[in-house]
Amino acid sequence: MRTLGQFYPVGSPLHDLDARAKILAVAVLAVGLFLVDSLIGFLVVGVALAACVAVSRVPTTVFSGFLRPVLPIVAATALFQAFFSREGRILVEWGFVEVRDEGLMLAAFLASRILLLVGAAGLLTATTSPLALADGVEDLLSPLKKLRFPVHEVAMMMSIALRFVPTLAEEAGRITRAQAARGASFSEGGLWKRARAMLPVLVPLTVGAFRRADELAEAMESRGYRGGEGRTRYREARFGPGDWLAPVLAAVVMVVAVSL
Amino acid sequence: MRIELREVGHVYASGTALEVVALRGVSLSVEGGEVLAIVGGTGSGKSTLVQHLNLLLEPTSGKVLVDGVDARSLDRGDLRRSVGLVFQAPEAALFAPTVWEDVAFAPRRMGLSEGGVRERVGGVLGRLGIGHLAQRAPHSLSGGEKRRAAIAGVLAMGPDVLVLDEPTAGLDPATREELLGVIRALRDEGGTVVLVSHDLDEVAEVADRVCLLENGAVTSLGKPEEVFYAVSASPMAPATVRTAALLRDDHSGVGRPVSFGETLAALKTVLGA
Repeated sequence: MRTLGQFYPVGSPLHDLDARAKILAVAVLAVGLFLVDSLIGFLVVGVALAACVAVSRVPTTVFSGFLRPVLPIVAATALFQAFFSREGRILVEWGFVEVRDEGLMLAAFLASRILLLVGAAGLLTATTSPLALADGVEDLLSPLKKLRFPVHEVAMMMSIALRFVPTLAEEAGRITRAQAARGASFSEGGLWKRARAMLPVLVPLTVGAFRRADELAEAMESRGYRGGEGRTRYREARFGPGDWLAPVLAAVVMVVAVSL
Repeated sequence: MRIELREVGHVYASGTALEVVALRGVSLSVEGGEVLAIVGGTGSGKSTLVQHLNLLLEPTSGKVLVDGVDARSLDRGDLRRSVGLVFQAPEAALFAPTVWEDVAFAPRRMGLSEGGVRERVGGVLGRLGIGHLAQRAPHSLSGGEKRRAAIAGVLAMGPDVLVLDEPTAGLDPATREELLGVIRALRDEGGTVVLVSHDLDEVAEVADRVCLLENGAVTSLGKPEEVFYAVSASPMAPATVRTAALLRDDHSGVGRPVSFGETLAALKTVLGA
């Protein structure tokens, strides 16, 4: 029973917040991060994020798991910035590679920006159930309905896609084990051989996904689903005064960080 | 081949909020040449248990012994070849363009010659009564035919022990009967079968021993009449046993029949026919 998807179901003040409040807070943070231009500013945001992680009761090992996949990208962009920046004082020179103080600074900014952004987004998905997240996105995008943008449909597709991530992961695991029981091996040989070895898993998984999609569409229709018109929700999220705290606090932190 | 589980425990997602204890100290042996049935409610740990027989899952505590040797020290490929595991709804893993190609997957992986593969595949397709479907695409088959093709794909490895996880679930009675026939034939040839099933009536027909699993622990293990007559008043006993147990109150001569044939004979005795 492996779980994919990042929602970490424990009880915490962050989990109780309205999804819209958290999405807004992350949006504020994302915009603000591009305006921050001092190390101390990034430090302030970092401390604030660390405090949020502590409040969320998501274990740090789980949280750092969100950051791990982006580390190679962060390292590559930071190195690129450090080596090829042509401004500031030269610190080290080696052939055509020059490391300048300005470049190092930019590299640190870039790395902090990406890590903080991914961290905040990770915390959002860890503390918000996929369904609440999709409902939140739908509500926040609802002004676009006036422009005939299919907000409900997009949100429904998003929530269904998220809902089926664990199901597909479980199915992939089961098929992988079924083929392993027939002597399939997924870890030997070069890249090409390994890619080919995945075929016995990918074919049935794709076929199964299409079959499941068909069944789901029929089941939804037979239970009266007709798109977004006049549809009510089982759980109506209420945006309370406490929920304003998240985006407001995020804005305060960002203003402080930018002005430093 | 004898497989022994010693105090096997299994915990999923250990140490996280999603932790599930699936098996608690399960001790059990699969003897060569027997049909061992594993029964129990959904979520009782049956499927987790059988995946330990070929180490697709490793015990989080305790160990698995194969002919007295710790299974962890054995080559996984060899182990999976000699313990053939057929998953629940195994037709979900059919992937090749034709039934023949799909069944040939395992023999090819074993490195058999093309002639050897042909012989193997032809043999198991015939044994499961689907030789005429060899060149058909798996997705064009009926549910029962797909199931048989998937089981053929595992039998083609020539395993010493065949493990079937709910092989007859969702099948029509005729196909079910044919599959039970295959299980009996395997046993008659000295093969070993582990059968996980919700269908107690079919367990009553083919099992040599029954293991009752509840909440991840073995609560009863022994001959079918021992296990089933101990729970004869509950839904965990087959209809034959429940009927005979009720009759025994008035007719002590009923004995402890389990299979349909035995129960019929016992009824005839009681009725004096």
